Amino acid sequence: MATVEEKAGSGDKRVSEGTLRDFFREMLLIRRFEEKVEERFRAGELPGFLHVAIGQEAIATGVCAALAREDVIASTHRAHGHTIAKGTHVNAVMAELYGKTEGCSGGYGGSMHLYDVEVGNLGANAVVAGGIPGIVGAALAFQLRGEKRVAVAFFGDGATNTGTFHESLNLAQLWKVPAVFVLENNGWAESTPNTQHSPLPIDELGKRAAAFGMKLIEADGQDVEAVHLATLAARDHALSGKGPVLLHLRTYRLTGHFVGDPQVYRDKDELKRERETKDPIELLRARLELSDEDFEALDAEITAEVEASVEFAKAGTDPAPEDALKHVYA
Amino acid sequence: MAVEVKLPRLGQGMEAGTIVRWLKSEGEAVSKGEPLYELDTDKVTQEVEAEADGVLLKIVLPEGEADVGTTVAILGSEGEDVSELIAGAQGGNGGAPAAAADEAASEPAKSRAEEPRSGSEPQGSLAAPARRPGERVKASPLARRIARERGIDLAALTGTGPDGRIIAEDVEQGVAAPAPAAAPAAVPAGEVEIVELTSVRKTIARRLTEAWQAPVFQLTVTANAVELVATRERMVELLREGEVKPTVNDVLTRVVASALVRHRPVNATFVDGKLQRYPGANVGIAVAAPSGLIVPVIRDADRKSVQRIAADRADLVSRARDGKLQLADLEGGTFTISNLGMYGIEQFIAVLNPPQVAILAVGSIEDRPHAIDGKLEIAPTLTLTLTCDHRAIDGSEGAEFLRTVKQFVESPALAL
Amino acid sequence: MPELTYREAVRDALARALREDDGVFLMGEDIAEMGGSMAVTQGLLEEFGPQRIRNTPISEMAIVGSGIGAALQGMRPVVEIMYEDFLTLSMEQLVNQAAKHRTMSGGQLKVPLTVRTQGGAGWSPGAQHAQQLEAWFVHVPGLKVVFASTPEDVRGLLWSSIYDDNPVVFFEHRTLYPIKGEVPEELEPIPLGKARVHREGTDVTVVATGRLVHESLAAAEQAEADGISVEVVDPRTLLPLDEETIVESVKKTTRCVTAHEAVTRGGFGAELAAVIQHGAFDYLDAPIERVGSKFAPLPFAPVMEQHVVPHAADVLEAIKKTVARA
Repeated sequence: MATVEEKAGSGDKRVSEGTLRDFFREMLLIRRFEEKVEERFRAGELPGFLHVAIGQEAIATGVCAALAREDVIASTHRAHGHTIAKGTHVNAVMAELYGKTEGCSGGYGGSMHLYDVEVGNLGANAVVAGGIPGIVGAALAFQLRGEKRVAVAFFGDGATNTGTFHESLNLAQLWKVPAVFVLENNGWAESTPNTQHSPLPIDELGKRAAAFGMKLIEADGQDVEAVHLATLAARDHALSGKGPVLLHLRTYRLTGHFVGDPQVYRDKDELKRERETKDPIELLRARLELSDEDFEALDAEITAEVEASVEFAKAGTDPAPEDALKHVYA
Repeated sequence: MAVEVKLPRLGQGMEAGTIVRWLKSEGEAVSKGEPLYELDTDKVTQEVEAEADGVLLKIVLPEGEADVGTTVAILGSEGEDVSELIAGAQGGNGGAPAAAADEAASEPAKSRAEEPRSGSEPQGSLAAPARRPGERVKASPLARRIARERGIDLAALTGTGPDGRIIAEDVEQGVAAPAPAAAPAAVPAGEVEIVELTSVRKTIARRLTEAWQAPVFQLTVTANAVELVATRERMVELLREGEVKPTVNDVLTRVVASALVRHRPVNATFVDGKLQRYPGANVGIAVAAPSGLIVPVIRDADRKSVQRIAADRADLVSRARDGKLQLADLEGGTFTISNLGMYGIEQFIAVLNPPQVAILAVGSIEDRPHAIDGKLEIAPTLTLTLTCDHRAIDGSEGAEFLRTVKQFVESPALAL
Repeated sequence: MPELTYREAVRDALARALREDDGVFLMGEDIAEMGGSMAVTQGLLEEFGPQRIRNTPISEMAIVGSGIGAALQGMRPVVEIMYEDFLTLSMEQLVNQAAKHRTMSGGQLKVPLTVRTQGGAGWSPGAQHAQQLEAWFVHVPGLKVVFASTPEDVRGLLWSSIYDDNPVVFFEHRTLYPIKGEVPEELEPIPLGKARVHREGTDVTVVATGRLVHESLAAAEQAEADGISVEVVDPRTLLPLDEETIVESVKKTTRCVTAHEAVTRGGFGAELAAVIQHGAFDYLDAPIERVGSKFAPLPFAPVMEQHVVPHAADVLEAIKKTVARA
């Protein structure tokens, strides 16, 4: 992971420009993928219930790039980005959304249950906070076996109000297991704003770590470099034996809760403002000073990649109906 | 890795089959696709092929009947220990259990600790049941089964179970005092041949009994067959080397098929209370095979030449006689023709071939007087009798169909 | 053959698995120094140390959930939920996670987790410490459910549960811990999904689980005196269920009683009755009778508890109903 360099003599770490360009490519891939998913869903091609994470790409990319392949993650219902960033090919993700056997969960999971154990993805969870305790257990297994691996749970601000979250972080800190709890704080629990779901001001949700005596690391979730550096620090801490970390990342969901959500609960002007000022891809593009030409060339390449994933998925194999019962028991 | 050879389901509705003989013996090497054994299903006897390469390590069911999915043999590599698989197969749903179940069924319900009973008079069939006419007879499922098997009328029994329910023991008691039966018929002298029904025969029995319950009516016409015979003769004259000689019945099959697609109410099946009327005619022809009556199907007969129908028919009949038909040969018929003309039968009534809604019985061609242009002439004449399922077809529909058939028989060119 | 109590038999299976396999570890409330609320894990901390005999906070969701996570990484955790009433607190993880990971991942994952728990009435604990909730879990595809009634069974079945690659909810009955029984010298694993015929008979089959196995055996003795021959079958594993043994038994006897301590309505007996009426319809000579608790949260006063919970007398009455005459 030679993603980080140090400014000579200063001790300040930063992400190299080459790596940032790689991040940019992946973030744009996730964005275009999710836009395509929205489009195909609206065209009636995709069954089920879909949630995109447009606006939150810097977290998926910045966090997963800081993890080793053998580190594991548990994702949420908003899982496409995490899954792609952890190393699953867009073809396998798209095929899953089309319910094909070539999908990363063989057509058994769907958008809310993307799994890819090979690359350390223990699955996306459709129950808010449902994946967090499993991550504590995975980290406990690493600790008991003396393995240098971390287990990472993604969840949103809504999850911090569940008993599962509190029980899990309490236990993780008690046993000092090598886990990182990534709080993707987009300020919304579905349609309920943070003012109605959290007694703490939204930017202070990280304070919950203090209740468990847990290490808190915070960063701007729209700045992929900040996310990445914060995750590297969190991973180091977790592996040091000092215990897990709550990694609090403030972010913005620039779309509805689900694909097709009319967002009647949201102030249109504010959303417009957020789209103009908080888009992590636009922010990074400006920082990298990408020329329009370079951007368009890259975009065309990525769009073709996404288009190809749709073709791949559509050409995929429909599962045999009777295979529905194949994996009920091991 | 050893694999279990399981009795396959070879067609819709197949539940069981009877292994007739093995074509490989234990210890013999088998390649995938090689015939492994002969299976007699309720429709045909056919060879079943091996689904994998290997050595036939164990024949679990050497012959006899078994349910679909039963393990009948074990394939594996030479010397492999398959004792566990064998034990599993034999202990599981193997061929033997079918027999075991029968045994259990025929075993009379156990005698139980006798409980004191008010007035233990025999519960024979003469005892007046305390039941109003038309009142439901309460009986346990076991009692119902025993009664069914022994042909006992439950309504004639008095139940001793709770609420007057007839329980198994009541039926047993009822049997103990059977109503006086008619004197047994005198058995003719000489050895009586007992014939076990083959599964084909059983199926015939079941299906024809079923068919007999349908409300049917028959319509008969006679047709001047002079053109039909002439057409067939011209075809025979023009025959090329190696082609099958068409029969009158082949020509008839073709013209009937043409009539069928013009009269779809007759070209139909009746399944689950629904009629399915077909745009094309798959005509079944009744064949007397050694194992019993069998009806292979000539597909798309309305779109085939007589020559092609003759070739198909010859192939099906020869395979039927050799017991080599596949299930696919027997499925999908939309109408059946039964022809007993070759036996000199002038006219007869055929029984429906369900789920089809009609069947045509064809008699022999006889010279009969016809009034032609006011003069009496002798012409070859065919008698056709259509049996119709009245649930599906009305008299006028059947009659219209038969009128078309008559026209086509008398002027085959109209149909071809 | 050595004699063990049911409690010792559970402990013996745990200790042997812990000795044999580094992947096995225990988690639960009060299981370390205290040895568990039922003293089942007594002495294990001394032998295996605090890394493998782990006291937990009172966090049922996290106990089961972290067990799942460790199981996903190839460990074989055995977690203890102190009372099955508290399983309700871990329901989300058991039902939505443990049971479904394998299917949702298209077969990529397995969850070799054992959740031990216990419950049962007979000691006036009131409504929240004695429920019998096994039937709830039988309704969840992906879980296995075991309910052992003797020392020999509990040892052999717990071993098989620990080594099963699926999540198993393992029910023990509180009042059975002190009962004694012979067990084989060497632990003999009992396969999940095999019923046990405790007693053969010809007139009525009683299919019983947990404490009611013992009540049914007592009822069978009494019925024998009245000239009724009773067969007693314990499914032992509720999911998967050994339907064949049960159906064959009823085909033989033609009558059946189901018996468990859980409330009758929607209980496991209902599932048994459905299986039996289907598998042995033409053999039934009487309606299937069900024995279970009356439909009420368990009251505290001993006389009321006694009234709600089924006993041998209730089983005997049901047996007699099946052979009754008008």
